Amino acid sequence: MLGFAKGLGFTLKKLTEKSVTHKYPDVPYPFPPRFRGIQHFSPEKCIVCNQCARICPTECIQLTGKSHPDPEKKGKIIDTYDINFEICILCDLCTEVCPTEAIVMTNNFELSTYSRDELFKNLKWLDDNNTNVREEN
Amino acid sequence: MNLSLPEELTGKTGLRTEEMILNVGPQHPSTHGVFRLVAKIDGETIKEAIPVMGYLHRGTEKLAENLTYTQIIPYTDRLDYLASMTNNYVFCHAVETMMGLEIPDRAEYLRVIVMELQRIASHFVWWGTYLLDIGAIGPFLYAFRDRETIIELFAELSGARLTYNYMRIGGVKWDAPPGWIDKVSEFVQYMKKELDNYHRLVSGNEIFVNRLTGVGTYSREMALDYSLSGVMLRCTGEKWDLRKDEPYSIYDRFDFDVPTSTDGDCMARYHLRLEEIVQSLRIVEQAVAQFPKDGEIMGKVPRVIRPPAGETFVRIEAPRGELGVYIASQGKDKPWRMKLRRPSFVNLQILPDLLRGENISNMIAILGSIDIVVGEVDA
Repeated sequence: MLGFAKGLGFTLKKLTEKSVTHKYPDVPYPFPPRFRGIQHFSPEKCIVCNQCARICPTECIQLTGKSHPDPEKKGKIIDTYDINFEICILCDLCTEVCPTEAIVMTNNFELSTYSRDELFKNLKWLDDNNTNVREEN
Repeated sequence: MNLSLPEELTGKTGLRTEEMILNVGPQHPSTHGVFRLVAKIDGETIKEAIPVMGYLHRGTEKLAENLTYTQIIPYTDRLDYLASMTNNYVFCHAVETMMGLEIPDRAEYLRVIVMELQRIASHFVWWGTYLLDIGAIGPFLYAFRDRETIIELFAELSGARLTYNYMRIGGVKWDAPPGWIDKVSEFVQYMKKELDNYHRLVSGNEIFVNRLTGVGTYSREMALDYSLSGVMLRCTGEKWDLRKDEPYSIYDRFDFDVPTSTDGDCMARYHLRLEEIVQSLRIVEQAVAQFPKDGEIMGKVPRVIRPPAGETFVRIEAPRGELGVYIASQGKDKPWRMKLRRPSFVNLQILPDLLRGENISNMIAILGSIDIVVGEVDA
């Protein structure tokens, strides 16, 4: 029974060690800077190139553009921008292809809601979600 | 009055038994996912066991036909979700082979470091949950404590804890953040010492040794007939490891051994997996020492990835065995057909044979020792 006793001894020795668990959610859990949480979208940066919608593997991004209100300027500006967060897999590809960093990741990950409808994030929600924005994208 | 029953009904024990069907799963903690095993039992003896799979089938192979090559990478994360990095790699490796791309050294080193750390993390999960299956609760906590260190390293590198989507065709997405390589080598030094404690806690335990020795034994011929791979093959004495026998990536630059055993039982598989952790630590240690000071992390890749028409099959040594990807391309930006050779699926085929005639108490011990991940079995 020597092996058995050795194992018990090891367990006893570990009793006095510091705990390795975190006190989440009482104490916020810090994630590293590259962490992928729900996206932040800046409408003023968007050039309506559609690349994010095209690269998305689950097709959860839908957007429409409109022509620039100033007739002098060429190009389009964003009209609607929706992410169906029910099916977003946070793969990071939309932020990777965005040429102007209009869509970026944030560190916000507490995303549970009472209703599925709330998971449908529109332009305003994504624009207001401007805390803990990831620096490197 | 003579009440004794004829022996064909009572067997050796003198108790009358009858056959019954026992469903294990699809929601059973020891099947590690949604896997169902229909066992025909007579008393405590398993007469027949039929694995029923497909509860986690998502049709990844079919989905891939409508996705561009870059879009498929996040889907590979979700096959063997305990070893996403190796899945990422094998897919990128297949496309790179088709296109004949050159991968920068720094990217190759990062890939090898994450793949070997992933192998260690995957074996930790196996170690913890396997002991949980056979009745030891403590080891699970130690295994997950150390796995957490690896997961945190990956989160720092790629931004996710499980579904990394880290590798890209032609390289990797992120370079190592400052100080990351030092943290890896710190972990390797820590783990080298800590592994002895794993043995102290479990491997020498007499109850554990008696529980597993001689359970679930099969021969080398049987393993080859079922085309088993990984630890399931090496536990029968066949020395076959693709990292040594068909070196891919930069594995030919590292010095490591391929542990084998000739016992072919659950105990041999237990020891081999722990020994593989040691060898993976050796590889990571060498890779960290040789890690290039600077360099690119992405090779020269065309903007739109269109492999030339044709087909390719590549295979690598994943934590669970030989992981292969077959891609047939017609020169478009989407594959015409993708086929995965999933080691969990292939290794599982031997289960009915192993369980026939076994005592039911050994069922979970044998199933656990195969080390399946249902996401990979069902794909």
